[in-house]
Amino acid sequence: MRQKLKYMINRFKERDIIFISYILIFFGVIILFSASKGVITKEGFFIKQILWIFIGTIFVYIFKNGDYRSLEKWSYLFYFIILFLLTIVLFKGEGRASRWIGLGWFYFQPSEFAKLVVILTLSSFLSNKDIRRFPVLFLSLIIVGIPFLLVFKQPNLGTAIIFILIFLGISYIAGITRKQLISLFLFAIFISPFIWAIMKDYQRERILTFLNPMRDPLGKGYNLLQSKITIGSGGLIGKGFMKGTQTKLAFLPEYHTDFIFCVIAEEFGFIGVVIFVLLYFYFLNKILEIIHISKTEFGKYVATGIFVMFAGHFLINLGMTLGIFPIVGIPLPFISYGGSSLIVSILSIIILSSIEKYSTLF
Amino acid sequence: MGRELFLKRFLTFFIYVIILRCFYLQIIRFPYYYQLSIKNCIRTIETGIPRGIIYDRNGRILAKDAPSANLVFVPYDLKNAEKVADILSNICNLDKEYLIKKLTKKYINPFDRIILKRDLSTKEISLIEENLYDLPGVFVQEGIKRVYPFGKKTAHLLGYLGEISQSQLEKLKDKGYEMGDYIGQDGIEKEYDEYLRGIPGGIQVEVDALGHQRRVWGKKEGIPGNDIFLTIDATIQEIAYDELGDRKGCVAVMDPRNGEILALVSNPSFDPGNIVFYLDEKRHPEKPFFNRVIKGQYPPGSIFKIITEIAALETGTIKEFDRIECTGVMEVKDRIFHCWKEEGHGWVDINLALPFSCNIFFGTIGMKVGVSKLIEYAKKFELGKPTGIDLPGEASGYIPEPSEADPLNLSIGQGPITTTPIQLLSLISTVANGGNIWQPFILKKIISKKGEILKELQPNLKKTVYIDQEALEILRKGLKNVVEFGTGVRAKVEGLEIAGKTGTAQRAATELELPTHGAFVCYAPFDKPKIAVIVFIDYGSSPQAAEIAGRILKRIFIPEKIEEGNETETEIYDKQI
Repeated sequence: MRQKLKYMINRFKERDIIFISYILIFFGVIILFSASKGVITKEGFFIKQILWIFIGTIFVYIFKNGDYRSLEKWSYLFYFIILFLLTIVLFKGEGRASRWIGLGWFYFQPSEFAKLVVILTLSSFLSNKDIRRFPVLFLSLIIVGIPFLLVFKQPNLGTAIIFILIFLGISYIAGITRKQLISLFLFAIFISPFIWAIMKDYQRERILTFLNPMRDPLGKGYNLLQSKITIGSGGLIGKGFMKGTQTKLAFLPEYHTDFIFCVIAEEFGFIGVVIFVLLYFYFLNKILEIIHISKTEFGKYVATGIFVMFAGHFLINLGMTLGIFPIVGIPLPFISYGGSSLIVSILSIIILSSIEKYSTLF
Repeated sequence: MGRELFLKRFLTFFIYVIILRCFYLQIIRFPYYYQLSIKNCIRTIETGIPRGIIYDRNGRILAKDAPSANLVFVPYDLKNAEKVADILSNICNLDKEYLIKKLTKKYINPFDRIILKRDLSTKEISLIEENLYDLPGVFVQEGIKRVYPFGKKTAHLLGYLGEISQSQLEKLKDKGYEMGDYIGQDGIEKEYDEYLRGIPGGIQVEVDALGHQRRVWGKKEGIPGNDIFLTIDATIQEIAYDELGDRKGCVAVMDPRNGEILALVSNPSFDPGNIVFYLDEKRHPEKPFFNRVIKGQYPPGSIFKIITEIAALETGTIKEFDRIECTGVMEVKDRIFHCWKEEGHGWVDINLALPFSCNIFFGTIGMKVGVSKLIEYAKKFELGKPTGIDLPGEASGYIPEPSEADPLNLSIGQGPITTTPIQLLSLISTVANGGNIWQPFILKKIISKKGEILKELQPNLKKTVYIDQEALEILRKGLKNVVEFGTGVRAKVEGLEIAGKTGTAQRAATELELPTHGAFVCYAPFDKPKIAVIVFIDYGSSPQAAEIAGRILKRIFIPEKIEEGNETETEIYDKQI
């Protein structure tokens, strides 16, 4: 027992990326247990999440010794598969359920997988190429742009933003020039009225509500107001595990997915929030370290993309629950309920772990 | 390398932003958001104001509280008033217009629970629970209802409960009364409301976003008010109500030795448990809330002859055996004055004139006595003046000025004079006890839950009227003969000596065609009076009233032996006295 504890502390100190992720996953399980009100049913999200963690863990054991470099060749194949799936989703889709593909007993969300696939494809494309050359930049834009438009059209504003961040992150590390960045920015401003025009009404509403949440406290501003009440009412030490009133009584919608952070804030208070944020910070720092030590360009770009993906999710998710970012509807990786998101997160850390391993094996 | 560092700085910056933001929300703004979260999910519900129990003199319950289920809604949680009104109007048989009006009204506190309907039936409750999902903000909530075991029989005596009115609220605000409170609106419930009213109870419940109750946080039991014991005897009250039957009118029974009211009945009555139904004036034009005993003002009719007789005998206007001839008609100046008996009573003295209620005789002696003397005597016996009974809304009646009255009419109780039945009951009691005017009263004592006596009404001797002993003897003898062989013969009860007087109340001499009101006052037993009764019937004759009074007295004094071993309850009363 004691030895086991010592071993665990060592792994934490050694910053084993998989170990740190599992601490976060464990944290998430506790929070989800509370969010499920302690009522565990076969249909409930708690059991499903446990199952996904189990499946993810199997992946960890299978791919533990895999070499990330083999992904470089495979990435294009993945890319076309994912484009195909996103297209299917878009055409079969009705309303907001159009993010999922039903596969028997579970729902598969291609847009979650698209993030990782875009990271791999873009990294593969940019390895040994100079992004400062216009054709390279242009093709990079195309690689990200096609899935971006497909996801945006779903509409999945959150994931679309993540694609932009992934592109910016990888191209930045790949050495994009300031001039190129400025022209891209101007281009974005130029096309934004067109984007606004093709936006769905509810997306526009969300942005407007973000600008003035008190516009309609029982309507569109409701989520944000309730989210702030939930977090604020946690105070310094919180209401206690399983004792949150806001989340338990369904004042806060989607508390087990996008607003899971509120459960942490309400039940564990400011102290819990600081511990959680610092843990996540520790995790993200570890990824930065992997970017730094990566020996191949491909590895460096992939690690950067994954970093941007996790950091983007983390910051945007917390930002929206805290009222400093519009509510765009993206999950908090490892914590929010959702199978696709969890599997993608676990696959990402398997890749990171491999990058780390092969950077020291010389 | 610089670019990786930038990523790290970028991340660190936002981590700071997030922590600062959480610090602001959770530490600095904590009280504000905490309040909001409490308001979100905690509702305080008043479960009603428990009231004290009302007992009769023998400890039988006349009014008590019982649990009930009320239909309530929280304005804040209401989503679609139209739809909710639609469903509820079907389930609870409520008017849809009324519901929409009530549901959409602007309330000061939108978290308050507003009662839509009280005392739901089991069927209504189950139908509402079934449809709860379509009725956000609507619940069935426990409450208190008032139960009156004797129902209509004690309605006027006890009164009823109703929501506090705006004008009542303004008067009672300082005493802790609040909007929406149910308070006594008449009778004993109103008279002693402050004592009966307890401290409201409440529960704090946690509700979810739809407003449905999840669990109870805290419960404050309401503290019932004080219990009240009345002088009323429920058995006699029941007898009085039964004997009056369907007739419009009233009965009151009093102990002539101290003024304790034993029964007080007025008809038509109402069901105090279903007030809304009776408040509808269109459906109930007969004014069921009108308590004739204390609010009805009628000419006393021949009962006033008691006053005329005492006045005539005491002033020496007439001696016991002075005789006057009644031919059935008498001409005074240019007016023709009739006796009720067309062929006349022939030569009668006072001993016969009273039993036969001869108008000519009393008219003649009344003229001799004079208007001012008659009025003086009427006032001496406290007619035309509230008796001070402890019920709200007692009327005074009216005694005219000497200039307004005509001695002929006044001496037989007609003309502008009016009295209330309770005053006439008090008058006959005074005759029964030989001159003591006791204030009629209903409250015996008010006892707190701890058992302390908070208030106790002692018999109150308002005044003692000196009545010449000889005159009193003659009067009493005459009253006895009213029942023995006179106009009140139908009141006669085998084995019980009753003294009484009939009266036929008429609006005025010129309205003789109008239906008359029959009245009868009496006391018994003759030699040792214990009970005084007044029976008053709208559109009835005085012999009918006498018959009812007789039956009441019979059932009080001579209990029917219906079954062996089943002691009739009236005996309890005898033991008490």
